[in-house]
Amino acid sequence: MHKRRSKVLLTLAAVVTASLALAGCTAGGGGTTADGKTEVTFWQQKFEDYQGVWFKKYVDQFNASQDKIKVNYQVVPADTWTQKLQAAQAAGKQPDIATTNYGNIAAGVVDGKFAALDDYMPADVFADIKDNVSSFVTIGGKHYAYPMLVEPSTVLYYNTDMVKAAGLDPNTPPTTWDQLIDWSKKLTTGDVKGMTIASTAPDLGWSSWGLQYNACGHLPISDDWSKANATDPCYEKLLNLYKTLYQGNLIPQQPKVGYADGSPYGSGEVAMMAGGSWVIGQLKTDFPDMLAKTMVTAFPSWDGDATRTTATLGGWTLTLDSKSKHPQQAADFIKYLLAGDPAIMADFFKAAGYSKYTVRKSVDEALASDPNASADPFMKIISDKVVAYGKQEPGYPWDIALAMGTAIESAMKGTDSIQGSLKTADAAINDVIQKQSLAGTAPKK
Amino acid sequence: MSAPTIARATTAAGVRRARGLRRGDRNRFLKWLGVVLISLSVLFPLAWMAIAGFKGKTEVLRSPFQFFPDMWDPKNYIEIAQDPQFARAMIVTFIGAIIFTALSLAINSMAAYALARLDFAFKRFWWVFCIMPMFIPSMAILLTSFVVVAQLGMLDTMAVLIIPGVASSVQMFFLRQFYLNMPIAVEEAALIDGCSRWQIFLKIFLPQSAAVFVVVGIGSYMAFWNAYVWPILTITNPDLTQIMQFLGNFRSDRGPQWGLLMAGSTLAALPTIVLVLFFQRYIVNGVRISGIK
Amino acid sequence: MTAVLPSDSLAGQAGELAHVASRRDGRRSGTPRVAKHLRDNRTAYLMIAPMVILLSIFVIWPLIYSLYLSGFKISFYKDPEFVGFQFYQYVLESPKFWQSLGVGLAFAAMVVPAGMLIALLIASFIKTLSKRLASFMKTTVYVPAVVSTVVASVLFVFMYQDQGVVNWFLSLINAGPVAWLNNPGTALPAIAVPAIWLGLGITTLIMLAGLLDIPDSYYESAELDGAGFVKRTWYITIPLLKNILLYLFVTGFTAALQMLDLPLVMTNGGPVNATTTPNLFIFNSFRDGTPYSTSFSLTAALLLFVVLGAISVLVFRLINSDKAVDG
Repeated sequence: MHKRRSKVLLTLAAVVTASLALAGCTAGGGGTTADGKTEVTFWQQKFEDYQGVWFKKYVDQFNASQDKIKVNYQVVPADTWTQKLQAAQAAGKQPDIATTNYGNIAAGVVDGKFAALDDYMPADVFADIKDNVSSFVTIGGKHYAYPMLVEPSTVLYYNTDMVKAAGLDPNTPPTTWDQLIDWSKKLTTGDVKGMTIASTAPDLGWSSWGLQYNACGHLPISDDWSKANATDPCYEKLLNLYKTLYQGNLIPQQPKVGYADGSPYGSGEVAMMAGGSWVIGQLKTDFPDMLAKTMVTAFPSWDGDATRTTATLGGWTLTLDSKSKHPQQAADFIKYLLAGDPAIMADFFKAAGYSKYTVRKSVDEALASDPNASADPFMKIISDKVVAYGKQEPGYPWDIALAMGTAIESAMKGTDSIQGSLKTADAAINDVIQKQSLAGTAPKK
Repeated sequence: MSAPTIARATTAAGVRRARGLRRGDRNRFLKWLGVVLISLSVLFPLAWMAIAGFKGKTEVLRSPFQFFPDMWDPKNYIEIAQDPQFARAMIVTFIGAIIFTALSLAINSMAAYALARLDFAFKRFWWVFCIMPMFIPSMAILLTSFVVVAQLGMLDTMAVLIIPGVASSVQMFFLRQFYLNMPIAVEEAALIDGCSRWQIFLKIFLPQSAAVFVVVGIGSYMAFWNAYVWPILTITNPDLTQIMQFLGNFRSDRGPQWGLLMAGSTLAALPTIVLVLFFQRYIVNGVRISGIK
Repeated sequence: MTAVLPSDSLAGQAGELAHVASRRDGRRSGTPRVAKHLRDNRTAYLMIAPMVILLSIFVIWPLIYSLYLSGFKISFYKDPEFVGFQFYQYVLESPKFWQSLGVGLAFAAMVVPAGMLIALLIASFIKTLSKRLASFMKTTVYVPAVVSTVVASVLFVFMYQDQGVVNWFLSLINAGPVAWLNNPGTALPAIAVPAIWLGLGITTLIMLAGLLDIPDSYYESAELDGAGFVKRTWYITIPLLKNILLYLFVTGFTAALQMLDLPLVMTNGGPVNATTTPNLFIFNSFRDGTPYSTSFSLTAALLLFVVLGAISVLVFRLINSDKAVDG
C-alpha cells in the first residue's frame, strides 16, 4: 500500500517537474518569433461572445495574409481588465494594442499612455471616420485611437403584445416622461412590471448620462470642469422620474441582473425596458421569439422634444501603447482590422445583429448593399432617432459619474430627498475637482 | 374504577412502557432528522447548480423560481466535457493544487511548530512577521507582487501559480493553534529520551496532525482551485489556463452563458467532493495525545 | 518548575494551561533552560526559514514597494510625481472610506459570531453520530465551499426575489414581499447569509477536529455531574477550544472585512452604498486606471491593512490576557 502510494507520488512529481520545465520554455519571447516575424500583442476586453469570434477570425486572417507580423490575441475578462492592464503596465508587460473605451481616451492621453496614430497611418484612413465620432478620438488635433463602433447607452424597448393588451397603441409610443410613467402604470399587471431601468449607483453612473443631458442640456459639471453643477434644479425632474418609477413599483424592486443585461425583458418579466442598443443583439441570439413583438424607439424626452439627447454613444476603439516596441507593425494591424477593407467591419456589424453603429462612411456604404441590414426593423430607427442626437461619453473621472449615480439611487430608494441627494453629489463632485485638479483640464479638440 | 378507566390506564401505561423502550429509537430518529435537515439546506444550492446545468442559456434566470428545467437537456454538460480546454484546465489545475497543498503543508507546519513549541531569539518578531501577511488586502500588493514575479521571470509558468502563495499565514496560524494544544509533557519526555526537536516534530507532531492536515490541506487545495484574479494576471499561455479562468469565459455583463457556467461549475466541483469524501475519514481523534494516557 | 503529569482530568488540563503560562513567565525572567535555548535557536530558524524567505519575497517586499509607491501619484508612463502623504489624507478625508469600513465591520459582526455558533452546533451534532453518518455529514457540510462565490451569489439573488423562496415563506404568514436586497436595513444581513453558508464547511470541520481533540472522559465526568449540553459546551468545550476559536475569529473577521464578491454580484454595493464593503470601495475607485485612481485605491488598501492589523492586535491582546495562547 505504502509502496504504491509513493510510486504514484513519484510519477506525479515527474509529471509536475516536466510540466514546469516545459512551461518555463514558453515564457518570455523578445518580440520576434522563431521564423523572424515581429510579434505584436493585442488584448481585448471581453464583451459579447460574437465579438471574440470576430476578432479571432480576423486576427488569424491578418496573420495568414502576410509574413512579417504575428498578432497574439488575448481576451481578458471585463471584471479583471483594469487590474491586469495596470499590473502589466507596472511591470512593462503591457500589450501593444488594447481595446479602449471612448471615455478613457482623454485621461489616457494626459498620462501619456497612447501613441498618436497619425504618425503611423496615412491621413486618408482618418478622413473616412464620421465627423462626430472623429472628435471622440481626437485630442489637440491628433488621433489617439481608431474607433470601431458606437452604441447608444439608452433606447426604449417595448413589448407590443403587452402594449396592445393594455389598450395602448404600439405605434404611438411615449414621447414625454409623463407619458412614460403613464404607460408604465398601465403596463404593470400582476407579476409583470411596466418598465425596467438601472437602479444601482454604478449602473446609473454611466447609463443616465444621456438623460442627464436630456434634462439639463449638460452634465453636472461646468464645461471647463472647474465647478460642480449638480444642484441645477433641472436635475430634479430627472431624479423624480427614477423615483416615481421605483417607488411606484413600476420597475422590479430587486433586479436580478445589471442594466447591460436585457434578459428580464427578453423573458417577458417587464413590458418596457430602457437598455443599450446592444440588447438587440442579445434578443436576436437568446430570445428570437421576442423579436417579432418588440419595437424600439428613442427614450422619451422630458418635454417631448425629440431632438434632445437621450443617449450617450459608447463603444470601443483600439489604442496603440506609447511604449510599444513595434508601433508601426501594431498600427498596421489596427489599420487592417478597423480602417481597411470595409467588408471586415461590415462583417462585424452583421455578427452583432446590427445592434451597433458604424463609425466609417465606407462601412455605411458597404452595409447599404447588405439586404439584411436594410431590412432590419431596428437599425434605422435607432440610427435616425437616437444616434443622430447622441453625445460623446464624458471623459471625466468615474468618481463624478458615480456621485451622480449615487444621487439618483438615494432619491429612488428614499434615503435622502431629491434636493438633498443632489446637494451631496454636488459637494462630492467639487471634492473630486479639487483633489484631482480638474479645473481647466476638460479635453480640448 | 370503571372498566373504561382501567382500560385507559392500561393503555397509557403500555404507551409509557413502549416509549421507554423506544427512547433509543427516538434519539436515533431525531439524529436522522437532524442529518436530513442539515443536508437538505446545505445540498440544495449544489443540487440547484447541477440541475441548472441542464437548462437553456436564458432559462436559468427565469422568474418565478423554477427548480427543474422544462426539458432535461444534457447538451451543456456534453459541450463542456468534450471541450479539450476544459479537460486540460482541470488536469493542470489539479496537479498545481496537489503540489501547492503538499508544499504549503510542509512549509507552514514547520514554521507553526517552531512558533508554537520552541523558544528562540526574537520569537515575537518572527511571529508578527509571519502572521502579518494575513491582514494585507490583496489589492494592496497586487501590482507590486506582479512586478516581482515578472522580474523573476516567473510569468506564464506553473511556478507563478504555486510559489507565491505557498507560505500562508492563515495556515501557519491554524497549525500553530493546534500545536499549542499539545501537552508539553510529551515533548519533555521525548527530550529526556534524547530526541532532537526535528525528531519530535517528525515523529510525534506530524503523525498526530492527520486531522488538521486534512482540514488545512483541503483549505489550501480549494484556495488554489478557486484562484481567479491571479491566474488571469499571470497566465496567458492557453496550456496553463486554470479552471476558474476557463469558467470565467462564460461570464459577461451582457447575458452570461448561465447554463454552461452552471454545468461547468458542477463538473469542476466533482474532484473536490471526491477528495473530501476520501479524506474526511482522517478527521477523527485529531491531535489527541493517545500515547501518553 | 516541574513537568505536570498529564492525567485524564480537568485539573490536569488546567495544570497544563498553568504550565504554559508559567513557562512564559519563566522565559521572561530568563532563569531556566539556557542550554535548550541555544539548541533551539538553530532548529527554530531552520524551521521558519522557508516561510520567512517566501513571505519576504512575495509579500513583504511588495508591501514595502507599495508603501513607497503610495508616496507618489503613480504613473507608469510619466515620471511619477512625489506627493508625500497626500493620498493618505485624501483617503482619510473620504466619508465613503469610513462608511465602507462601517459596513465591513457590521458585516463581520453578523457573519463571524453566527457562523461560529452554527458551526459549533453542527460539529457537536456530528460528534454524536455513528461513524457512517458522521462520514456522510463531514462531506456534506463541506459542499457549500465547493460552490463558487459567483454561483452562490446568483442563487441567493434568486431566493431573495419578489417571488422567490424567502418571500414565499413570508407569504405563508401573510407578510411581505420584502425587497431584501434593495432595502437599506435588510441588504447587509441578506448578504451575510450566503457568507455564513459558504464558510460553514471549513469552520465546521475545524471545530470538529478541535472537538475530537477533547478527551471524552471530560464530558463523561461532567455528564455524571448532570451537566447538560449548554453547560458542557460553556465549561468544557469553549475553554478548551480557545486556541481554535481565536483562530476562527481572527481569520473569519479578516475575511469578512475583505469581502468583495458577494456584494459585487448581489447588490453592486447598493442600496445607496449600504453594502459597499471596503474592498468594493477600493475596487470602484480603481476603475479609471488613472494615476490618481491607482494611487488612491492603493493607499486605501494600505489603510485597510492598518485597520485590520490594529483590530487583530487588540483581539490577540484580549485573548492573550487569558493566558490560553503561548505567544
